[in-house]
Parts: sequence; C-alpha cells; structure tokens
Amino acid sequence: MRVSTSWMQQQSIGSMMDRQSDLSNINTQLSTGKRINQPSDDPVGAARALDLTHLGTDTAQYQRNITSANARLGLEDQSLSNVTNVLGRVRTLLLQAANGTQTDDTRGDIAAEMVQLRQQLLGQANSKDGQGDYIFAGNRTGTEPFASQGGGVAYVGDDGQRMVAAGPGLQVATGDPGSAVFGSIPTGNGKFAISADAGNTGSAVAGSTTVSNPNANPSAWDGGSYSIVFTAPDTYEVHDGGGVVLDSGSYDPQKGGSITFRGAQIAFNGEPEAGDSFALGASQSQSVFATLDNIINVLQTPNGGDSKMQNAINTQFSNLDQAIDNITRTRGKVGARMNALDQQAGLNDDLSLQYKSALSDVQSVNYYDAISQLGAQTTALQAAQQTFTKVQGSKLFDYLR
Amino acid sequence: MVDMLTTGVSGLLAAQVGLGTVGHNVANVNTEGYSRQQVAYGAALPQGVGGYFIGTGVNTVAVQRAYSQFLNTSLWSATSSSSRADTMASLTGQINNQLSGSSNLQTSLDSFFGAVNDTANAPSDTASRQVLLARAGGLVSTFQSLSGQFNQLSSQVQQQIGDAVDSINSYSDSIAKLNGLIRSSVATGGTPPSDLLDKRDALVKNLSAQVGVTVVPQNDNTIQVFVGNGQSLVSGTQSYALATAPNIYDATRQEVVGAASGSVLSGRISGGALGALMDFRSSVLDPAQTQLGRTAQALASAFNAQHAQGVDLNGDVGGQFFSVAGPTVQAASTNNGTGNVDASISDVSKLTGADYTLSYAGGAWTMRDTNGNSVAMGGTGTAADPFTAAGLSMVVPAGAVAGDSFRIQPSRDAAASFAVVINNPDKIAAAAPLAISSGINNTGTATASASLDGGAISGGVVQFTSATTYSVDGGADQTYTPGQPINANGWNLQLSGTPQNGDSFTVTPNSNAQGDNSNALMLGKVANLGVLNGGVTSVGGAYSQLVSQVGSAGAVADDEKTTQTAVYNQAYGSQQSVSGVNLDEEAANLVRYQQAYQASAQVITTANSMFTALLSAVQG
Repeated sequence: MRVSTSWMQQQSIGSMMDRQSDLSNINTQLSTGKRINQPSDDPVGAARALDLTHLGTDTAQYQRNITSANARLGLEDQSLSNVTNVLGRVRTLLLQAANGTQTDDTRGDIAAEMVQLRQQLLGQANSKDGQGDYIFAGNRTGTEPFASQGGGVAYVGDDGQRMVAAGPGLQVATGDPGSAVFGSIPTGNGKFAISADAGNTGSAVAGSTTVSNPNANPSAWDGGSYSIVFTAPDTYEVHDGGGVVLDSGSYDPQKGGSITFRGAQIAFNGEPEAGDSFALGASQSQSVFATLDNIINVLQTPNGGDSKMQNAINTQFSNLDQAIDNITRTRGKVGARMNALDQQAGLNDDLSLQYKSALSDVQSVNYYDAISQLGAQTTALQAAQQTFTKVQGSKLFDYLR
Repeated sequence: MVDMLTTGVSGLLAAQVGLGTVGHNVANVNTEGYSRQQVAYGAALPQGVGGYFIGTGVNTVAVQRAYSQFLNTSLWSATSSSSRADTMASLTGQINNQLSGSSNLQTSLDSFFGAVNDTANAPSDTASRQVLLARAGGLVSTFQSLSGQFNQLSSQVQQQIGDAVDSINSYSDSIAKLNGLIRSSVATGGTPPSDLLDKRDALVKNLSAQVGVTVVPQNDNTIQVFVGNGQSLVSGTQSYALATAPNIYDATRQEVVGAASGSVLSGRISGGALGALMDFRSSVLDPAQTQLGRTAQALASAFNAQHAQGVDLNGDVGGQFFSVAGPTVQAASTNNGTGNVDASISDVSKLTGADYTLSYAGGAWTMRDTNGNSVAMGGTGTAADPFTAAGLSMVVPAGAVAGDSFRIQPSRDAAASFAVVINNPDKIAAAAPLAISSGINNTGTATASASLDGGAISGGVVQFTSATTYSVDGGADQTYTPGQPINANGWNLQLSGTPQNGDSFTVTPNSNAQGDNSNALMLGKVANLGVLNGGVTSVGGAYSQLVSQVGSAGAVADDEKTTQTAVYNQAYGSQQSVSGVNLDEEAANLVRYQQAYQASAQVITTANSMFTALLSAVQG
C-alpha cells in the first residue's frame, strides 16, 4: 500500500504522543498511589470507593462516640462507687444504732455523722461530667437535679436517658436518670412493706420479710393492703383493707416466729399486747434521701430504744438495703454497657480494617503491575522515537545528490 | 519524413509537465488536503505513410489529482465522528476533574454528620453545636461550588456552541464561493481544477470536524451540503448560515437554529464538535446538575423533617435547618396566556431526575418528559386538587390558552440555592419534644415513643381501659389497633409491645432538657436514611450515583475517542494511500522525467546532427 510521507510522520508523532500520554497516566497512578484518579477511570469503582470511605468515616465516628460514652459511664461508675461507700457506712452506723447498748445520746452522735453522710450523698447525686453537665439529671443536665426543699430533697431532673450511637443500629445508654438511681426505690422488701401501728404498746418487732415462692406466676403475693392484728399476745388475725378477717393463727411471744399468709412471710419477735397491729401494703417508692432522713429522724428522737424505735429502724433498714441494691444493680448496668461498648469498639475496629482493605482493593494502584507497565511503556516510547528517526532518515532524495 | 524535431519537442514538453507536476507535488507534501497530481500522457496521432503509420510524439492529456470520492466521503464521516469523540472526551474530562477535585461532597457530608454525632455526644455543649453549624456551612459551600463549576462548564459549552456555529458559517461561505469558482473554471477550461477541488474538500473536512454533514455532488461540479435532517448549509453558490437563539423556555440557554428559517436544530445535530457540545449539555451536564440538585433536596427534606421533630435549647420546636429551591418553572416565550404553573415538591422520594413540560391543548393538560413520553398525572390542577406526578405537585394557571406550555425542572437550581437557615447554635433541635413516662404499675410489655404531628403540643395521659381500648386524659374510650399510633394533643404515640388493661403512658412536653440528645441521634441517622428513589437511596448514595453517572460518561467518551481515533486513522490512511504525496515516489518520478527530458533532448540533438550531416553532404 502506498503511504504518504506526511501521514507516515503524523502517525509516528501520534504514536509517540499516545505512549507519552500512557506514561503520564502511569506516572499519576504511581505518584498518587491510586488507580482511580477521576471517576471516569473506573465509574463503578469510584462510586464504591465513595461508599467505602463513607462507611469508614462512619465507623471512625462510632469510635469517637464510644470514647465519649465510656468517659461518661466511667464518671457515673465512679460516682456510684462513692455512693456505695457512703451507703455502706450508713448501714454500718445503722447496725450500731440498732444495738441495744446504745443510748439516746450515742444515737444522736451517730445521727450527726449520718447528717454529714447525707450531705456527701447529695454531693454525689449532684455530680457533674467533664462538660459541666449534671450526670444524674436525666436530660435536664443544666439544673442541679437534687434540690433541698423543705428539709427534704426533691428531684427536679427528668427521666430522660442519654443514648449514644455506638454502631450501625446499636444505641447504648450513657447514663441513668437520678430518679431511677436515687429516687424511685421501692420500700420494704421490694414487694411489700410492713410498719408498726403508732399506738402499739407491746414489745413486738417485725423483722425480716420475704415473699414465699417468689418465682411463682402469678405471684402468691397479690399486692393488696392488709393488717396483722394481735388479738392476744399469742394469737393474731389478718384483716383486709375493709377489716374482714381473712386468716388467724397463734404466735409464740417467748420464742417469736413468723406469720405467713398470701405469700407474705414476716418474722416477729417480742411480746405484742392485745390490740397491737402491723400494717402491710405493696411497696411504695421512696428516695434514698427520704430513707436517710427517716433514719436520722428516728435516731434523733429520744426514745430509750423501745420497740417502736426498733420497728422504725427495721422498716428503714429494708429501705436502705433496697437503695444499696438499686445502686449495685445500676453499677452492674453501667458495667454491662461499658462492656457492650468495648465489644462494639472491637467490632468497629475490625470493620474499619475491612473497609480500609476493601477501599485499597478498589482504588489503590497495584505497584508491581504499575511499575512493570511503566517499564513496558518507557520501552515502547523509546522504540517509537527510534523508529521515527530511522524511518525519517531514509529518503530516496538523499541518494540523488 | 517524420518531423523528428517536433516529436523530440513533444517529448521535452511532456517531460517538463511531468517535472513541474513532481515539483508541485513535492512542494505540497505537507499541504493539508492536497491530493497528489499525476500527468496522463497519450501518444500523438500517428502520420500515415502509405501502408503504415509513424508516431509523432506524445501529448499531455491531463494533469489529474489522485482521488477517490468514496475514500474522501469516509474520511469526512470519520472526521466528524472523531472530532465529536475528541470534544466529548475533553468535556467529560473536565467534569470528571471537577468531581475528583477538592469539592468532594461525600467528605463534606461525612464531616457534617460527624458534627451531628458530636453534638449528640454533648448536646448542651455550645462549642460542638457551633462546629455543627460550621460544618453545615462547609456542606453548603461544597454544594454551591460543585453547582458553580457545573454552571461555569455550561457557559463554556454555550460559548463553544457559538464559536462552532461561527466556524460552520465561515466554512459554508467559503465552500459556496469555491463552488462558484469551480463551476466557472470548468465552464471555461473544461477540466476541473484539482487544487480548487482539494481546497473545497479540505473545507468540507474542516466543516465535518465542526458538525456532521451530508455532501451531495451536483452535475455542475458544485456540491450541496446538508446538516441535521436536511437543513441546507450550501447549495450552489449560496450558503445558509446557522445561528444561536434563546431557548423558548430559558432565555439564557442558546439553541442552534437555521438563521433564515429560525427552526431549532439543536436536537437534530449529530457529529462534530457541535454535536458533542449539544450531547454533552443535554446528556451529561444537565443530568449531573439535576442529580446534584436532587441530592441537595433530599438532604434538606430529610434533615428538616427530622429537625422539626425535635426541640431546641429554648424549648421551641426545631425550625427549618436547610433551605433549598423547589422546581424551576419556565413559561414558553411563545405562550399567549397569562400566569405560570405553580410547582412544588410533594414527595422527594418520587423525584425522577427528569425534566418535564406541561402543555395545554385547550381543555386538557399533558405532561411529557424530555424524551416526549407522556406522564400520567393525578389531580385536576387546581389549588385544592393539584396535578401530581413524579413527586411534584402542580397548580396550573387559569389564564392559560391552548398551545401554552411550561417547562418544569424539579431539581435544576436546587444545589445552587442550598443554604443553612439556622445561625444560632441554640436553635439546633437536639432534644426530643416530648418526654414519655410509662406508668409505674404497668403490667404490659409496651414501650412508647412519640413524634410530633405538627399541631399545638400539650401533655396528656394515655390510659388503657382494656388491652384494646384506651382513653386520653380521661376522655371517651377509643379502640387501640396494634401498630397504629395514638394521636392526641399534637403528638403521635407509637407503642411497641403489648399494653395491658390499666397501663398508662404520660406524655409531657420536654422542658429544660438541654442534655437530651434524642433528636440529635435521629438527625445523625439521616446520613444513611433512604430518601430518594422511593426511599431507597441515601443522600450519600445519590452523590455516589452522580459520580458513577459522570464517571461512566467519561469512560464511555474515552473509549469512544480511542475507537474513533482508530477509525479516523484508518480512513485517513486509506485516503492518503490514494491521494497523499510520497517523497520517495516523487524522487523516482523526478528521475524518470529527468531521464525522459534528457532522452528527448538527445532526439533533438540527433535530428540536428542528421540535418547538419545532410547539409554538409549537399555542400559537398
């Protein structure tokens, strides 16, 4: 085939340009380390790279969220640990106070220490996190949640619980509202509470209470209001709210003993007088501050350590134990959350690594491949250049001189 | 006796023509469009001498260009395609560069939603709220910068369309003039003048690079040139100019029209740089701008909706966070009626990314997409019952008359208009508007969540009077359908689990809850929420689609360029194999004619010496 001279030149130049453009592409790939430098290099890959980058950023954000949640939960745990210590001390003091060797004076001293402990507890309940937010205020984090009002303590926070996004679809609470931690604690044994009638004249004291067979469904304890009335020191009757006698039995005033009805079991000791009565009702909720105030009140009231005081102390003892239980349970929940966060953090790390490796698969240049291509294309360019000089150098006109 | 001298002279003259042609060929070795010329010789009429003939030398019959109409036509068509592919690759390369540059929307989205999460982690912290607003500002500038780049590209395309039309007109003009010259040359000289034909062919090739043309040779050696579906550019010595004119809907958008007829050719032009510009504008740039706008609308709509479900630090229900333009409606300049269509977006998830025209035929309105397909509409078009289609809600003007039409571009201006409305960090609605507490003695398994229904909000107590009935604030019993929300006092209470008789839920307006991050958490989820395409595609997903859409256009254009360059090289090589000058060949021809010349000169010398010999014999 005939080839025109100018076309041959154009073609040679064209092929050199092509090789140079290939080299420039490889150069860009090698210097950026990326195979996809603009979307048209691989449209599907470019979109996939965006998605993967987004997923990676999301995961990194989850990790940040977890860090911030752990900090908050750590503070809460610290506070709760302090609270446990305070309540533990209160319990020890209460045990001492209940001891028969104490006098009104020594009980007054104990009460004085308890007043201090109550202040300490209030301080913990009003503690703040690193950002100056009250930890136990629910969502009203800008307001001191436990305010002293009329001698008692009122909760002015709300029931809100702050959550954190720890992973796709996983939200973990980063706090507990003060109402749940310190406020709404059931009285008595958590199912029912017993209190001695103020007019009792005997020395009978209600001790520990239990719900028999607690796991039965429906529970044998029906949550009603009843009263146990001693008709004589050794006999009793159980009345319902309307005064109807439901049950009756005998009681040993010397040895003491327990009275059981409708799933409720109450241990008594001491000698009741005829007409003494004990009211029994479903647990109400009471704040730990109210419990402390009640305890302090009992201890500060001079009474010579009579059965009335013992009954009152026993009642508040149950309440205090409920409060301690509640704090322990809350700490358990905090621990479980931190645990869940740690697990999620590990999972996020794995995911993050996976996204990074997928992203690298999609958009990173394969250096072995690219460098061998670089070599091949350099050779091709040199070949094109040499061919050009050779071909252009041989002309028939050269021989006609 | 045969006139040897005359024979010799004819040889000399013939060789001179040959040498001259070689010189001409060599001189034009690099002339674009030049066809090498060849000399055709014929033996002169012989002289009859009795029973035989004696030759009388050579005649130069013609100097012709080496030419193939077929190969030239293929070259023109290949030029047109490869020029289109080149221009397309260069334009898509530009838009691809813009998307791979620093304005990466996904990065901006990620930082924005990262800041939303940080606010959720510390809702009462003013610093993190301020960062959130700053990131929102960054997001806005990314949208605007991308949209601005697209617009800049659009005006560049517009400029190039004007330039292409100018060159087309200038080429047509020159071709028409050459038509005249060639016609008169043939009329006077008999044979077509090769160099003028070459020049005209070269102009046709240049014209093909600007726009795909059809060339029809005429009997009088002129050519007719058509563009599109029969719009004449050159006919005889007359050229017909193209022009640009404003689009009937959008005065800022230039369309290609026939200058005399005014008929719009934009959609019918194919091939060449102009074809690429038209295609790029309508099939790459416009959809990209629309997709970007749709992304902005999706973000604004989803984020605003969630933001309105929360309350800010002042306890007020969250206001509009982002603002974004709705559909752009443009009335045709040819409309005779009054008023304009009032269009708004009724459902972001149903937006298609297409543009529409709404036209009135007197009595009935029809909606068509840009491909001319009819789109079914619901409603009657009144303010009370607007037309609905493709996520749009349209109220048509009462003053329309038959023949009026309106163009609706649902998302065209959205990205450019995207803005943050909130500038006070306290106004970020991170908290839930309502606080719900379950009754302390609830026995069922139901847990409740609440959302706002837009009405005035007040607190209330939902009390179950049986497992399937409830009362609100002690009102009449209502039937509870599991899964259905309970609506009252400006909120919807959604229960999950099963309520029991006696269960109660107290809903109170959230007050003073600066530590509440419930709505901030929900706002964070908007990042991955399916918003578009029927609630499937997230905002980030929509941007990915834009990137892959633009990337595909770029990759296709690059491939096309490679292919078309090869086709062009093939066509050009073939054409050159016939018409191109080869210097080696010319060198050989030079030697050939030089030898012929020398030989003819030798004949004359011989004739001369014969004549001298004869004379000296006579002188004796």
